[in-house]
This record gives sequence, C-alpha cells and structure tokens, in this order.
Amino acid sequence: MAVYGQVILLGMMLFVIGGACVLIRRNLIMILIGVEIMLNAAGIVFIAASLRWGALDGQAFVIFIMAVAAAEVAVGLALIVYCQGRSGSINADTYNTLKG
Amino acid sequence: MKPILLLLMLFPLLGGLFSALFGRRVSRWTVERVACAGVILSFIMALIAFDSSGGKHQIITFFTWFQVADFSVLMDVRFDPLAAFMALTVTFVSSLIHIYSVGYMKHDEGYVRYFCYLNLFVFSMLVITLADNLVFLFLGWEGVGFCSYGLIGFWYKDMKNASAGRKAFLLTRIGDVAFGIAIGLFFLIFNSLSITYINGHADILTPGTMTLFGLLLLWAAAGKSAQLPLSVWLPDAMAGPTPVSALIHAATMVTAGVYLLMRLFPVFSGSATAMAFIAVAGTLTAFYGACAALMQGDIKRVLAYSTISQLGYMFLAVGAGNITAGMFHLVTHAFFKALLFLAAGCVIHALHEEQNIFRMGKKLRLALPGVYWPFLAGAAALSALPPTAGFFSKDEILISTFLHAGIFYKFLWFIAILTAALTALYTFRLFFIVFTGESLYYEEESEKSVEKPPPNMIATLWPLGVLAIFAGLLNLPAGWGGGGWLSEYFLNIPGAAHHGEIPHSVENGMAIASAVIGIFGIICAWFLYGPKGLLRRPDLPGAWGGLFDLLREAFYLDWLYRRYIAWPFEKMADILWNRVDREGIDRGLYSFANTFMLFSQILREWTSGRLSGYLFMLFMGLTVILCLLAINFSIL
Amino acid sequence: MWLYSLIFYLLAAVILSSTLLAITRRNLVHMVIYLIISFFGTGLLFFLLGAPLLAALEVIIYAGAIMVLFLFIIMTTPSEGDQEKLKGEDPTCQSCGPIRLLHTGLPILLATTLLVVAGLFIFADPEIRVALNPAMASPAVFGRFLFERYWFPVEVASFLLFVGLVGAWYLGRDGLGAGSMARVPQSEEAESENRGEA
Repeated sequence: MAVYGQVILLGMMLFVIGGACVLIRRNLIMILIGVEIMLNAAGIVFIAASLRWGALDGQAFVIFIMAVAAAEVAVGLALIVYCQGRSGSINADTYNTLKG
Repeated sequence: MKPILLLLMLFPLLGGLFSALFGRRVSRWTVERVACAGVILSFIMALIAFDSSGGKHQIITFFTWFQVADFSVLMDVRFDPLAAFMALTVTFVSSLIHIYSVGYMKHDEGYVRYFCYLNLFVFSMLVITLADNLVFLFLGWEGVGFCSYGLIGFWYKDMKNASAGRKAFLLTRIGDVAFGIAIGLFFLIFNSLSITYINGHADILTPGTMTLFGLLLLWAAAGKSAQLPLSVWLPDAMAGPTPVSALIHAATMVTAGVYLLMRLFPVFSGSATAMAFIAVAGTLTAFYGACAALMQGDIKRVLAYSTISQLGYMFLAVGAGNITAGMFHLVTHAFFKALLFLAAGCVIHALHEEQNIFRMGKKLRLALPGVYWPFLAGAAALSALPPTAGFFSKDEILISTFLHAGIFYKFLWFIAILTAALTALYTFRLFFIVFTGESLYYEEESEKSVEKPPPNMIATLWPLGVLAIFAGLLNLPAGWGGGGWLSEYFLNIPGAAHHGEIPHSVENGMAIASAVIGIFGIICAWFLYGPKGLLRRPDLPGAWGGLFDLLREAFYLDWLYRRYIAWPFEKMADILWNRVDREGIDRGLYSFANTFMLFSQILREWTSGRLSGYLFMLFMGLTVILCLLAINFSIL
Repeated sequence: MWLYSLIFYLLAAVILSSTLLAITRRNLVHMVIYLIISFFGTGLLFFLLGAPLLAALEVIIYAGAIMVLFLFIIMTTPSEGDQEKLKGEDPTCQSCGPIRLLHTGLPILLATTLLVVAGLFIFADPEIRVALNPAMASPAVFGRFLFERYWFPVEVASFLLFVGLVGAWYLGRDGLGAGSMARVPQSEEAESENRGEA
C-alpha cells in the first residue's frame, strides 16, 4: 500500500500544477480550470488524511469541496460568458479597469 | 408705566418685523403706513410716559435676558428725565422723518428693506435711550451700528455706497471695542451692570480708574458720534438716502455717543483729566468740522461736517460738566439738523438728484418757497442767531466752558467761539450759494426744471422749522425772562450742572458776544459768497489753493487713515497672504503632498489592473508565508 | 500489497501527466479531454483510498458535469480559446522574448519554490512513512455519518448551490450579457448541481 507522504506529495504537485496554470495562462477559462485542479488536489489530500487517521470527516469535507467547486464553476462560467458578451474577449489582461 | 414703556420700545420693533416678514406680501401703501404708525405710536407712548412720570426716576424690569452664576443681564429700563426727554426727541424727529421718507422713497423699489431698517433703527436707539443694563444698552448700540450700515449702503449696487456703509460699520466698531472693555471693567469693579447701580456707587472709584473709564467711554462715544479721530465715516455716510442722513445726524445714531457720556457721567466726572480730554476732543472736533465744512461743494457734505462740529460742542458741554447744556444742544441740534437735511433732501429731489451746490441758485428760492423759509430758519438756528434755539443752547455751552475753573478752559472757550463764527460763515455760505444768485454752470433746458416735492415732504419741514426757532424756550436763561425749565427738569440727574448763580454780566456779555459773532459771520458770508460774492466759486484763487485742498479734504484725515493704517494693513495682509500663506504654508504642504505623490506613483505601478499580476502576488505571498513558517520550524 | 502500491504509482503517473498535458494545451477541447482522464484517475485513486461514494461523485461531478459545462462554454464562445497566445506572444511586440520569459519563467520559478518548500515540510514529518492500510467506508456508513455529524454544513452547501444557481441565472439573463447563448449551459448547470447535491 502506498505511503501517506506519497499521496500528500501527489496532491501537492497537482496543486502546484493548478497554480502554475492559473499564473501562466491568460485565458479566463484556463484560469478557472487551474482553480478546479487545485480544488481537486485538496480533495486528494483530504481523502488520504481520512484513511490515515481512520476518520470519516475528511471524506465529508471532500463533499463540501465538490459543492463549492460546482457552484464556483457555475457562477464563474456565467461570469466568463457575461464578460465575453460585454467586451468580446476572454483574455484576462483585457480586464484592467482596476488599473491605478 | 410698565406697559407704556414696553409699547414705546415694541412699536418700532413690531413695525420693523412686520416689514421684514410680510413686507413683500402686502401693498406698498400698507408697508409705509405700518412703518409710520409704529414710530408715531411710539412717540405717543413717549408723550404719555413723559407726562405720567413727572420727572421721577423709575427702573422697570421687563424680564431676565440671561443669567450665568452671579452675572445676570436684565431687560430693564431706567426712565429718568434724561431718558424721557431723549425718547421724546428721538421718536418725534423719527416720526417726521418717516413721514418724509414716504414721499422721498416713492419711486424706490427697495422700500420694504428701507422701512424695515428705519424702524429697527428707531428701536435700537430707544434701547440705548432707555436701557439700564449696559449689555442691554450694548444690544441697541450694535443695532444702531448694523442699521446704519444697512441704510448707508442702501443703494449697495454702487460700489461706492457699499464701501461707505462698510467704512461706517468698521469705524464705529473701533469705538465699540472700548465700550466692550468698559463694560467688562464695570462688571469687574461693581459686580453689576446696572447704570443706576454704577452711578450710585461711582464714588468708590479711584481717580485713576475714573480717568480710565472716561477715556474708554470717550473712545467709544467718539466712534459712534464721529469725533476726532474717528470722524471720517460720517461724511461718507452721505451715500445713503437723504432721510437716512437726517435720521443718523439728528436723532438716532451720532447722538448715541454723547448720550452715553451723559448717562454714565458720574463715572468719570470726578476725574479732571478725563473731563479735560473730553472737552479737548469736543473743541478740536468742533473746530475741525467747521473748517472742513467751509469748502465742501456737496450740500450734504457741508451738513455732515457741520454735524461733526456741533457734536463737538456737545462733547465740550459734557467736558465742561454741564449735561443740561449738552442735552439742550442735542435736542435743538436734532431739530434744526433734521430740518436742514430734510430741506436739503427736498432740494436734491427737486433738482433730480443734484447735490452740487454750485448748480443751485435763486431759481430754487423762487420755485420752492416752502423749502426756502424752513431752510433759512434752520440755518439761523445752526448759526446761533438770537433768538433761535441754537443761540440759547450754544450760549449755555459757551458760558459753562467760560466759567469752568482753569485757564485751559478759557482757551477752549476761545476756540469754541471762533468756531461759532466759522459756523455762521459756512452755514450762510451754503445758504447763499444754494438759494441766491445764479448757478455757476451752464445748464440744459431739461436740467433747469425744478420738480416740486410731494406735499408731505414739505409739510414735515414746518414743525421742525418752528421748533428750530422756538425750542430755545425750553431752557430760557433767567436773564431773558425764562425760568430755565429744562434745568429744573434735569435737577435730579446725576451730574447735571449746579453752577450756582451765573453772573448777569457774564450771561449778558456772552449773549451779546455770540450774537455779534454770528451776525459778523453772516455778513462775511454775504460779501464772500453772496450773489456777487468774491469767493463764490468751487475753489480758492491762486496761492490759496493749498488751503482749499486742505480744508476740502478735511485735513487729509482720510488720506492719513489710508496711508498709515489701511495701507500698512493691506501690505501686511499681502505679505501674510503671498509670502507666508502661499509661498510658505501652501508650498510646504504641496511639497509634502508631492513627496507622497512620488511614493504613490511608484506603488501605483503595482496596481496594473491585470488579473495575472494580482494572482502572481497572491501566490508569492503564499510562498513567502510558507518559507517563513519553514524557517520558524527550522526545516529550511 | 505491492499490487496496491503498483496501482497507486500508476494512477499517480496518469494523473500528473494528464494534468500537465491539459494545462499546456492550446486547444481547449484537448485540454478538457486530458482533464477528464485526470479526473477519472483521481476517481480511481479515491476508490483505492477507500472512498467509493466520493469516487463515484468525482466521476459524475468533476469528470461529468463540470467538464461538460466547460466544453459547452468553450464551444459556444468564439474561437479565441483555440488560438490563445501565451503571455508576451504578441507579434507586434518588439522585445517579446525577455517579456515572455519573464511572464512564464517567474510563475514557474514560483511554483518550483512552492513545491520545494512544501516538500520540505512533508519530508520533515517523521511519521510521513506511515503506510496506509486498506480500508473501505461503505456509502451507507458514510451517508449516515454525514447526516449525523454534518447535517448543518450539508444544508449550507445546498444553499450555496442555490445561490450559485440564482447568480448564474442572473448573469446569463437576456440583455445583461451574452444573451440567449448563455442559457443553454445554464440548464446544464442546474442539472449538474442537483445531481451534485444528491
């Protein structure tokens, strides 16, 4: 059976990959995908911890993470569609109205 | 008694409030009638109060204005013969001026404002006249200042008029400073602000304090009564409508200062120094005003300087310790100066706002006999010709001065009698130039026409004319067969004259001397300024031009004010503004702000508005926190 | 036991490689395909780690609903997604080389640092080598546990999904944003959410 640390490492690597996706890509959809990957990575770590300690709470949290992810994707994608309808672009760098 | 006195003060106030609150909604007719009624009813109340008081002192408290610890200000009046007489004069003259104003302001659009101010003016003066509490009196004092400001600058759209109003306000304010200090000192010393109490306990004052009070009150009175050196506002106050000038000069404004000195006479009468100062200020002002009046070309300015001069006489009377004479002169002066101003108003009105006396002439005498004769009566009274009112009142002042102890007062008497000659000279110069001879200027046909003033304007001149001649009967000296009624009436006033018997020789001699001097002045005026007069021209010939300028500009007092007070002040303000404020404080603040601006410009670059930038920062922060934690747990 | 380990390593390799491939794709449809593979792998991993219900949900929600939603959006939005340029790839840009390096290099550097530091944390733990013993939480047990211990957060989560539904509907209304196009994925969203809640 796998060692606990290895699963944690896997989750962490997935998390960093998601973060890199968020940072590097400019497409709003890709940024959202990056966030999904990061959430998924967190789920893996929760499941592993749940098995490690023999407690079901970790699995319960994964349920909530999934609910949050679903809601976030629904609103996020609706926002992307809305922004795209407004300005015709889903490039993150075109939205710079916060520029000081 | 209480309701009568309350109504006496309330009628003008209610009239003023009515104009202020409803004046725009009711007809012009109503506003005029209400304003006149307010003052006339007030006059009737003054008559009733005068009749029923019978020369007794009464102190009547209406209510407490405010109270802080043992400092309380009461709305109370001190109704004594002085106040009764003053109230009577003020309301009577004001009533006539109100009636006159209805005709004078017939074509002016600002009549609501005008009558509102006029009524409030009378109310404020009545407060000064009657108030027993000094703070209450101060309320009227400031009210008079405010109303005069509003009325002098009545035609405020002209910059010159507005600044004349401002000048009057500022200069009287200088006097108010001294009055304020005096009020504070009174409370410090007497622990009371009641005039009655202060006068009753004036003997606890040391001579030094008395002198101090005398000087402070002189300063305060000089501001209000346009005495040297605070006299410059009065000639400029001619910017207001002519009835306002009459009101300011005759009844309400300028007499307030003298009246204050009379009211608080016991406070400083024990100090010879203070009395001397008051006498000197009065004498110098009288002389100064007479000289300046001699060369003016504007009918109202002549009268303005003559007011300054006559007020100087009143101060001299106070300085000579004879309140009765001062009050007597105040009253007769109120009559004949109101008369002269109202007549001048008729003349100005008749000539379509022409004030230059050299554009007038015998056409006025022919066209306006109803103005000519009252004016002559007023001029005679001002020149103190026997047997007019001015003759008796001025004579009494001269006698008091002459009989006062000390060679110093003899000298003052000499200047005063010299001034009397000058008075006759400038008065009849005015009279002859205005009513005799030809105009000096070529006139167009349209200018030649003389418009008849409304009858109610002319009608008000006659009672004043009669009083200007016969008001002397009020206090006819014993030598003329009179009983000296006013002296009797004022017998119980603190500080009224008790000279004892006046030697008959002095009395007769003085009467003859002033009569001769007055007539001499008139004869000089006839030869100099009559129809064929030598000096009937707006300037002086040849080398006398300098003297002419000196007198015409009233000894350059205005110029001195501008040069040595206003100019340094402006310069200082300019330095404070440009050097200190703009180049010092402002620039410092701007550079301070600019430093922050520089920093924020650098920081600003970080808020690129780019989503990826912010996300990068977020992850950077996460990494840094993790690194710090790692260092903390000694893993790294 | 070595079989378990073998399966774990295999799954880990699949998940990592497919995710890496997904985030580097320019064609977003390819990206979605790779990501579905990654989520399937994750679902298997969940099963391996003793969470069969979550494994099923992972497949249904992540690999199913969310990815289908993404696919819908990708297909309904104009083609910009197909030819997305990496940062600094602007042909008009003169000094693009260094800028591109800066824009991709810095995040990669950052990610590597994060990975190293976090790895240090993991390997500093002495109990890191604890082996995970196979165990299984049956869906019935897990469901009972969930509604006994966490009934309130479950309700909160359902409310969150409801808010998400309303928010998505509001943003996609006619006249506010992209118009009628946005309505198609909306119904999908609602379905997926209902499923997720179940």
